[in-house]
Amino acid sequence: MVERQYMARLNMDDNELRRRLSAFEITEEDLQRLASLRPLAERHMDGIIDDFYKLLLSHEEMRVHFPDEATVRHVKRMQREYFLGLFSGKVDLRYVEDRLRAGAAHERIGVAPKLYLAAYSRYLRLILDRVMQDVTDVAQACQVYASIQKLVHFDMALALDTYLAASIDTITRHQAAIRELSTPVIRVYERILLMPIIGTVDSQRAQQIMETVLVRVVEEQARVVILDIAGVSLVDSQVADHLLETTAAVRLLGAQTILTGISAQVARTIVRLGVEIANMHTCSRLADGIELALRMVGKRIAPEMQQRSE
Amino acid sequence: MKVPILRIGRMLLASVQVELRDTVADAFQQDVLAAIEKNGADGLIIDITALDIVDSYVARVLLDTGRMARLLGAPTVLVGMRPAVAATLTRMGFVMDDVYTALNIDEGLHLLQGIAGRRLGA
Repeated sequence: MVERQYMARLNMDDNELRRRLSAFEITEEDLQRLASLRPLAERHMDGIIDDFYKLLLSHEEMRVHFPDEATVRHVKRMQREYFLGLFSGKVDLRYVEDRLRAGAAHERIGVAPKLYLAAYSRYLRLILDRVMQDVTDVAQACQVYASIQKLVHFDMALALDTYLAASIDTITRHQAAIRELSTPVIRVYERILLMPIIGTVDSQRAQQIMETVLVRVVEEQARVVILDIAGVSLVDSQVADHLLETTAAVRLLGAQTILTGISAQVARTIVRLGVEIANMHTCSRLADGIELALRMVGKRIAPEMQQRSE
Repeated sequence: MKVPILRIGRMLLASVQVELRDTVADAFQQDVLAAIEKNGADGLIIDITALDIVDSYVARVLLDTGRMARLLGAPTVLVGMRPAVAATLTRMGFVMDDVYTALNIDEGLHLLQGIAGRRLGA
């Protein structure tokens, strides 16, 4: 089913197929020519494929992908289908899907693109050597050569597209993971949330911080959100503005923010930059921030002794 | 469509379920203010939980209504704002300094009762 996903990713429909065929200058004539070679191809198929795998198995890096006899038998069978596909005289959406499935399989088992292309180049040479033996007319040989070239490159492009799509998928997954990691919200106490902010705060991250905080405040019905900026590498006026914006938005929901983890350096920067933070609760230490938050929800931290004497 | 206005003790609760456009907005303001004028109120709660979208026009209507109610002696608390609404209003630079905000009706009621109590005590 992977190939279906790739079909969607490449926007593969009749129009896209037509555009691709025209990019590779593959005409109906090419396909007919290849189809007429089918009996020839069938005759040479086993020889070509046997030679191909002999070559692959002789190469150290390629060999690792064929751990046992059964695997070799399996891929040879697949290869036969693939090979005959070239001479089927038809390139339709099913053909593309087949090709994408092959590409996806290579990507999945971790065949590096360089090896894929290297193997393909050998494969192409073998095909041309064998098939051309039987084409005696020079002019016809040139045409056959061109047709095979075109279709093979068309196939390679599809395989590369699956490689790229898979890489992009991986990157997207990583980005999502990083995004999630970068805005953790911790429930410190009933109705008190803490968001430690670490690293750089650009506008995209700031927006994400704000959205996460707002959603969590409503979810948890939190009264107070502590934003700890001790881990923020650089606090400039832009970062300060973002924090103010988040504070204002949190207030609209009916909750309050406390800014903690402010270093002496950051305090100086904020004042020098003339950022207006008068309506923000601020503490230098997180511990003070938690105490303040508890007071806001009507609780306080008291020493154990005192509690006993009460 | 009218915005229902309920009385809870000395407080008024207006639950906005429809978009406050033109005539609806006008009627809403008039109804709220008339209710305060007629029987008096220690506070006004406007519940906007049902509003998925609040543009600057609607925000202005809400804020103005709060300001008007305060002139009549009823401080206003806006409750139940959606996260996305808060984010949008803030990004537009909309400030709601003249109204209180609370997470839900319960808290809004509590807040207003606190304010009313302080006023009586003073």
